[in-house]
Amino acid sequence: MKRFAHLNARTLDEAVLYLRRYGGRAKIIAGGTDVLGRMKDEIVPTYPEALINIKTIPGLDFIEEREGSLKIGALTKLEDIARHPVIKAKFSALAEAARRTASPHIREMGTIAGNICQDIRCWYYRAPNNRFPCLRKGGGRCYAIEGDNRYHSIFGASVDGGCLAVHPSDIAPALIALDAKIRTSERKIKAEHFFEVGVCKTNVLEEDEIVTEIEISQPPVGSKSAFIKFAARETIDFPVVNCAATIVGSEGTVQAARICLNAVYLKPYRVTSAEQAIIGKTISDNSVEDAGIEAVRQAKPLARNTYMVQIARTLVKRAVLACG
Amino acid sequence: MAEDFKEMPNNPLEHDKYAPKEFKVLGRRGITRIDGYKKAAGKAIYTRDIQLPGMLYAKFLTSPYPNARISKMDTSKAENLPGVRAVLRYDDPEVFGRRVVTTYGGCEDMLAGYAYFEGQQIGAVVAADTEQIAREALKLIDVEWDVRPFVLDPEGALRSGAPLARPEWADNNLNEVPPSPLSEVFRIGNVEAAFEQADKVIEFKAVRRYHGGADTELPCGIVRWEGDCLELWLHHQHPYEHKWTMHKYLGVPMNKIKVNAPYNGGMYGGWNWIAYSQIATGITAILAKRTARPVKWVFDRREDFVFGSADAMVTYFKVGANKDGTISSVKLKSFYENTGFWAETHLLENTRIPNIEAENVTARVNKGPTIALRCEQLPGCFVMAHVFNHVAAELDMDPTEVALKNDGAEGKDINYLNKFKRKHGFPLRDSLRECIEAGKKAIGWDKKWHPAGAKELPNGKMHGMGFIWSHEWDDNRGAGVAGVFIQQDGSANIVAFRTDIGVNAETTYCQVVAEELGMKFEDVFFRQQDDVYLPLMTPDGSCNLTTNSYVLRKAARKAKRRLLELATTEVHLIERNIAPAFPGMQPEDLEVKGSEIFVKSDPSKRKKIAEVVKDMDGSMNWGLEYAAIQCTTHAPVFAWAYHRQGRYGTEPGRHRLCRQAHFCEIEVDTETGKIEIKKIVNVNDVGKALSPEAVEGQQYGGTYMGIGRNLNEEYVWDPCSGVLLNGNLLEYKWATMLDIGEIETIIVETGMGYGPYGTVGIGEDVATITTYLLESAVFNAIGKWIDDGPITPDKVLKALGKA
Repeated sequence: MKRFAHLNARTLDEAVLYLRRYGGRAKIIAGGTDVLGRMKDEIVPTYPEALINIKTIPGLDFIEEREGSLKIGALTKLEDIARHPVIKAKFSALAEAARRTASPHIREMGTIAGNICQDIRCWYYRAPNNRFPCLRKGGGRCYAIEGDNRYHSIFGASVDGGCLAVHPSDIAPALIALDAKIRTSERKIKAEHFFEVGVCKTNVLEEDEIVTEIEISQPPVGSKSAFIKFAARETIDFPVVNCAATIVGSEGTVQAARICLNAVYLKPYRVTSAEQAIIGKTISDNSVEDAGIEAVRQAKPLARNTYMVQIARTLVKRAVLACG
Repeated sequence: MAEDFKEMPNNPLEHDKYAPKEFKVLGRRGITRIDGYKKAAGKAIYTRDIQLPGMLYAKFLTSPYPNARISKMDTSKAENLPGVRAVLRYDDPEVFGRRVVTTYGGCEDMLAGYAYFEGQQIGAVVAADTEQIAREALKLIDVEWDVRPFVLDPEGALRSGAPLARPEWADNNLNEVPPSPLSEVFRIGNVEAAFEQADKVIEFKAVRRYHGGADTELPCGIVRWEGDCLELWLHHQHPYEHKWTMHKYLGVPMNKIKVNAPYNGGMYGGWNWIAYSQIATGITAILAKRTARPVKWVFDRREDFVFGSADAMVTYFKVGANKDGTISSVKLKSFYENTGFWAETHLLENTRIPNIEAENVTARVNKGPTIALRCEQLPGCFVMAHVFNHVAAELDMDPTEVALKNDGAEGKDINYLNKFKRKHGFPLRDSLRECIEAGKKAIGWDKKWHPAGAKELPNGKMHGMGFIWSHEWDDNRGAGVAGVFIQQDGSANIVAFRTDIGVNAETTYCQVVAEELGMKFEDVFFRQQDDVYLPLMTPDGSCNLTTNSYVLRKAARKAKRRLLELATTEVHLIERNIAPAFPGMQPEDLEVKGSEIFVKSDPSKRKKIAEVVKDMDGSMNWGLEYAAIQCTTHAPVFAWAYHRQGRYGTEPGRHRLCRQAHFCEIEVDTETGKIEIKKIVNVNDVGKALSPEAVEGQQYGGTYMGIGRNLNEEYVWDPCSGVLLNGNLLEYKWATMLDIGEIETIIVETGMGYGPYGTVGIGEDVATITTYLLESAVFNAIGKWIDDGPITPDKVLKALGKA
């Protein structure tokens, strides 16, 4: 690790001020579970000059129900979300996503905002000491195309037509399936529009913008949500594929559906075709089969990840069934 | 008492003749582990923890390429970085062109100017005030690399036109340097004739991919010079050998080298056999000399991924069997990566298969060294598992029946083994049958086993039962030396040093001494990490307790004799005599139990050992009652012993008699390829369990290691650059507690081990054999073979035609 400044922000304004002062050469730190690993391995050529600690800002760690919505402060730890009785009862996809993230120690450190702001996973991108200066770092090419791509995108590439990394968050698809909104120091964005692919970029945040709160409207009557994760091990691992779904039903018929896969593409991958396949139908083995097939109809697997298509299909089926 | 000395020498082919009929301390549960609280509470001291005044940190340059030579190197910027105290270069006179001895298989470059795998420690070593400065300095070294083509696949490496994996060492990629076998054909019987006679002949291929080990304590070592004396702190299994290697590298006499072997977070053999594990300390000694400071070398986690297990292999099988389940003929051809072993060993040592032909071919590839990791028997278990799995399936037989049909040794059946047992004094027990029966009962085999692919569960998953077996292969070999010293307060020390290898080993050694001396367990203590110049076994991971317990037993029996002599001998001083503790008695009249000496014919006449061994007079201490340090009235009770047990332990005719059998119940999700382990049953015939909890610790620990390998563990290299992609504990996937369901451990005690009291160690066995347990269970579940370890979900889905 190289040397860097560590600044404790006392207010949100102060944190924003620091970010502006460093003009892109500073990073926010909260739980630190992603940013510290990234820095320690020196995976990108540039190294932050400063870490702006926002854990010192009061009032960003809360779970509340008010004004008809669930509000979760940016600094809320994943373990608190996983255990919260209201979230478990009404927003079960989120509680389950939090429960299945990482390991107990990391959930006690990692925050909800940090989870959705985390960097992509790709063992070429993440190789220590910038061993592979890839497209996502502004370099020349994607090394996964010809390399070992067993954990890479099954829905094609982006960033100059090349990057095949995946977005690893368990929380992100749950928020999209629950149609959450993300409040920042500047604005409120639908979760679905929060993620964006670019060089050293995974979301739409400006350099001086900070996530402050997650907001989820009370679920409509008759709705259920579910989250399913497939990973190599039962703990610690990032997903091979995960899937979150929210189904709004009335008298056994699906009125509305939001289904989102992750770890299959550069950003969370909402499968609207699968949603369409289930709307107006009752949830049954047959209807979910169609949803699964539709979800992966556009899949373009690589040499070593065809199996992920089968898993994605299965997870979509099972997530919808779990909402039945 | 005379019988105490009769046991030397011990015939390494024979059962222990001198075991007591009853045990007071050995075999008991609930003994408090010496290392238990320390390790659980984080109080145990590891090499990584040790900070010496003025200590520097050494870091090695690593190669970014899998096959490359340094054509030019400029270290001046690194040398000028504040805090850097020395930079040793590959072309410096102390190391240039030097190939030095290592423990295993010849020699190695002391500091190479080329690399044959990505991540190899080569070129330069920096010693700096902090680890961080050393790292920064390494980045300032400008290297011009001559990057060469590389090869990763062993069969590809042996084709003509393949790049040379290690041109500095050989002009071809065939490796026959020990311990790799010569690539000649081994034969017993006549396989081809037997194939013609066989009811069934099957052919298939199996693969085990390169996997490794991760020590909880990362590799490191410390070197300090005091004048011309050298002191080392080692994270290493071979402390005594370091005296030899450092003597060879540095010219220091062995009597001026002190070796401390603190607790270590896992060894498993592998790391210790890597040449660099000793050379790193030699290099550090050069830096310590140059800087006149103690120096600690340290690896980080990725650097710990420098080696793998020697079962990175591909084997082609042809097997002949008869309808009754007897296997008549096995033909094997195996290709290994970097280091090979004899894949036929378990078929030879463990079965009655009369016709075997095997060829073991080792190729040099541009991956890290492979070596015995937990055990060199991995290839043997790999081959044996696949042969038995396929035969049972092909004959549509219960695999436990096929095992029993073929139990034997060196091509001869169980009747032959029984004759051997009788001749050499072993109990006449059918170890395999006992293990299988116990295991079947525990897992409910008779109710649950079914033909392959035949049982779909209500949850939609496919149910599978798996089974694997082999012998217990503790080598029961090697040599050790140790003393037993009784302090003046009646407490006893084991005087020896060794590395912390095994579960609870230091405690078990104290149990042996307490048992034999007649002392309470808590009155015996062992600080095994102190260099007291008498080396007990740890040089070879394949044997610890079974040799060391002979050593300690002899030493303890001798010490007991000395103790009773002291208790019955008058002490003559110039002006007066001091009567013995038991006047008028002979040593033979006395016995020791519970740390008290008593008269056999009248046990009410008893004295504590402490009363007998204390300074009887105290006159040199002006009559004060404290342990005399200036003079004692009598020589302390001290005895030492040496024991040698066999040569390799595996000499022909020294048959292994104890068996092991392992069972599992799994569910396979055919929609995701996930294998769920519902239950594992480990059955090990340990002969005699000296510490039942330690045996169970080996069973649990071995199961996590083996099943983790079977499910997930694999090094992944980028095929285009040869760079290791998953050299970290997130992407290299060890099994966690949540990945394996219930584990039931069963201990069988037939007394048929070669060790003292009929014991046999299982430290290597469980991990090694369970590495191949799931193949049979997955086949039983889905009716498809996945003979390609690890059995990951992508392979399951592919076998099912879904990927």
